[in-house]
Amino acid sequence: MDAQLAQYIPVLILLVLAGAVSGGMLLLAHWLGKAGRRTAAKDMAYECGMVPVGGGSTRLAVKFYLVAMLFILFDIEVVFLYPWAVVFRELLREAATANLIFWAMVSFLGVLFAGYLYAWRKGALDWHEPRRAGSPAAPNRSR
Amino acid sequence: MNPGLEHYLVVSALLFCLGLVGVVLRRNLLVIYMSLELMLNAANLALVAASRFVGNLDGQVMVFFVVTVAAAEVAVGLALIVALYRRRQTAHVEDLTTLRL
Amino acid sequence: MNNAAYIQLFKLAGPEMLIALAALAVLLVDLTLMRGAPVRARRVIAVLLTGVGGFAAALYLLQVPLRAVSWGGLWAVDPLTQLVKLGLVGLAVLTAVLSLEADYTDHVGEHFALLLLATVGLMVMAGAADLVLVFLGLELTGLSLYPLVALNKAGPRATEAALKYFFFGALAAAVTLFGFSFLYGLSGTTNLAGIAAALRGRGFDPLLALAVVFSLVGFGFKVAAVPFHLWAPDAYQGAPTPVAAFIASGSKLAGFFLLGRFVALALPESGDAGRAALFTPGWVPAVAVLALASMVLGNLAALAQRDLKRLLAYSAIAHAGYLLLAVLALNGAANRPAALAALVYYAGTYALAGLGAFAVAGHVERHAGAAALNHLTGLGRRAPWLAAGLAVFLLSLAGLPPLAGFPAKFYVFAAALNTPHAGAVSLGLVVVALLLSPVGFYYYLRVLKLAFVTESEKRPAGPDAPGNSPQGGENRFGVETAVALLAAAGVLGLGLFPQWLLGPLQAAVREAGG
Repeated sequence: MDAQLAQYIPVLILLVLAGAVSGGMLLLAHWLGKAGRRTAAKDMAYECGMVPVGGGSTRLAVKFYLVAMLFILFDIEVVFLYPWAVVFRELLREAATANLIFWAMVSFLGVLFAGYLYAWRKGALDWHEPRRAGSPAAPNRSR
Repeated sequence: MNPGLEHYLVVSALLFCLGLVGVVLRRNLLVIYMSLELMLNAANLALVAASRFVGNLDGQVMVFFVVTVAAAEVAVGLALIVALYRRRQTAHVEDLTTLRL
Repeated sequence: MNNAAYIQLFKLAGPEMLIALAALAVLLVDLTLMRGAPVRARRVIAVLLTGVGGFAAALYLLQVPLRAVSWGGLWAVDPLTQLVKLGLVGLAVLTAVLSLEADYTDHVGEHFALLLLATVGLMVMAGAADLVLVFLGLELTGLSLYPLVALNKAGPRATEAALKYFFFGALAAAVTLFGFSFLYGLSGTTNLAGIAAALRGRGFDPLLALAVVFSLVGFGFKVAAVPFHLWAPDAYQGAPTPVAAFIASGSKLAGFFLLGRFVALALPESGDAGRAALFTPGWVPAVAVLALASMVLGNLAALAQRDLKRLLAYSAIAHAGYLLLAVLALNGAANRPAALAALVYYAGTYALAGLGAFAVAGHVERHAGAAALNHLTGLGRRAPWLAAGLAVFLLSLAGLPPLAGFPAKFYVFAAALNTPHAGAVSLGLVVVALLLSPVGFYYYLRVLKLAFVTESEKRPAGPDAPGNSPQGGENRFGVETAVALLAAAGVLGLGLFPQWLLGPLQAAVREAGG
C-alpha cells in the first residue's frame, strides 16, 4: 500500500512546485505591480497589442461544427486500433489466426473509409462553399 | 485506506445522480445533453471498476464500445439541436411545445 | 477464440452483414451514379437496392442450417432468432416500399441507408446473447431512427419529435447501461446465460433489484411501455409515416423479442411459491407494474385522440401492456416455450397490423396534409381497398375472432394464466386486460365509423368538400394500397390459420431449448 503510494511522490512534488510557481507569480505581480489602478485601456481584451475589433464572443459558422463533429467521430473510432495492435503480434504467430487478424482490421477500416468517402462527396469537408446563393441568413437552406 | 469496489460504485452512483438531476432540472438542451454524457460515464466508471475487481476484461471491452457509441450519439444529438435552432432559433425545452395532447 | 470461431462469426452474422452492405451500397450509389438524377428515379433505385439486400439476407437466413449455435457466447443463432430476423427483414422491405412515396425529403440515399442500418440494429437485438451486443443493438437502432424521424425538415413537428425521441432514448440508454454495469459487477460476466448462472440462488439483494430494474428501463423505452412511453405519441405523429410504421412494427417486434430473451436468459426465475420468493428476482413486480400502467393509460388516452397516428401510438402503448403479460409468463421454466411462442406471435401479428394501419394513415396524410381523424370521412367511398384494409387492421388490433389479433390475445392470456407462482397477479392483470377490451373496441370502431358511415351525412356539402377533393386521383392503386392489401392478407391468413406461424414458432422454440 505505502510502496504503491510512494510511486506518486514525484507527482506530489511536481504539484507543489507548480502551485508555488504560479501562486508566487500572482503574488509578486500583486505586490510589485500597480494593482487597483484601472483605466479603459487596461480593461480592454488583449489582442496582441492591437485595438480589438468586435465583441468578445463571436458566433462561429456551422461549417466548423461539421468538421469538428467528423473529427470526433473518426478520432474515437481509432480506439479499436489499440487493442488490435496490442494482440497483433501474438495472433500473427499463431497459424490459426495469422491470415485473419490483418483482414479483420481492414474490414473495419473499410467501413470507416466508406463513411469518409460519403462525407467527402457530400461536401462536409469543404471549408469554403464554392457558391453561396441567396441571403446567408436563410435559415432553411437545404444542404 | 484502500479503496474497494464499493467506493468506486458510490462515486459512480453519485455521478449518475448528478447527471440525472441535470437532465431533469436544466432547461438548455446542450446542458441536458452534457448531463446525459455524465450518466454514461458514470456507468463506464462502474464497468471499469467492476472489471478491475472481478478480474476479467469484459467490462473494459464494453467501455470501448460505450465510448464509441457515445461519440455517435453526440453527433446525432448535436445535429438535431442544430436543426432545431435553425428552424426555431431556440435551444430550450420550454419551446418544444408544438406536440401536445 | 480461434480461427474457426472467427470464420464462423462471418458465416453466422452473414444476414446482418448483407443488410449493412446494402446500406453502404444505397448510400454510395445515390451519391455517385445517381447524382443529378430526378428524385423519383433515385427513390426507385434505392428501393430496388434495399429489396435486393433484403432478399439476399432472407435467402441467407433460410440457407444457414438452423441449429442452435453461438459464437463465443456473444451471438445466438437458432431457429427462433432466424425466424424473427426474417420477419424484421420483411418489415423493413415493406417499409422501404412504403417510402417510395417519400416526397418529404431529397436525401434519398440517407433515408434508405438509415432504414437498413436500423434493420441491422434490430437484427443484432434479436440475436444478442451478451450485454455488449444488447447495448449495441439498442443504440444502433436508436441512432438510426432518430435522424429518420427528423428527415421531414420542412414539416413543423419533425425536428421536435426527433429531439424528444432522442432525449428519452439517450436517457433510457444511460439508465440501462448503468443497470448493466451493476449486473456485470454482481455476476462477473457480460454473458446473459452466465449472469443467470451467477445470480441463481442468491437471496434478496437491493443492489441486484436496482440493477435489474434499471436494466429494464431501456427495454421499456424501446417497446413504449408506461411510464417510458412519453416519446411515442410525439414521435409517431411527427415522424414521416413510413418511419413511424417501422418504429411501430419492427422496433416493437425486436424490442419485445429482446426483452423476452433477456428475461428468460439472464434473469433467474423466481423460486418456489410464496411472496418473498416472488420478489427475489426483482423483475416480476416491475414488469407487472409496467403492464398494468401501459394497458390502462394506453387505452384510456387513446379515447381522447383526434389524430390517427397519435391514436395508433396510444393503442401501441396499450398493446405493449398486453405483450408484457406474455413477458411476465416467461417466469417459470415449464411455461416458458408456450409464453415465448405467444409473445413472438402477438408481436409479429401486431407489427403486421400496425404497419398496415400506418400505410393507410400515410395515404390519408399525403392527400389531406395531415392524418386527423376527420380527414378519414368518406374513405370508404374514395379508396375502398384502403378502407377495407383499415377495417381489417383495426378489428385485428381490437381482437375480433377471424383476424390475427384474436388468437394472439388468446394465446398470450392463456400463457399468462398458466404462469406458476404468480397466479393472483397474472389473473388480476388478465381480468384488467379483458375489462379494457371494450374500450379498445370503442375507439377503433369510432375510426371505422368515420371512414365508412359519416360520409353520407356530409354528402350534401357537394363534390368540392374537403373530403371529396379529387387531388391527384386518390383512387390510383398506389404503393400504400399494395402494402395495405398485403398486410391485410397476412393478418387475415394468420387469423384463420394461426398454426401457419405458431407451428414453426413452437418448433423453433423447442429446438432452441426454450
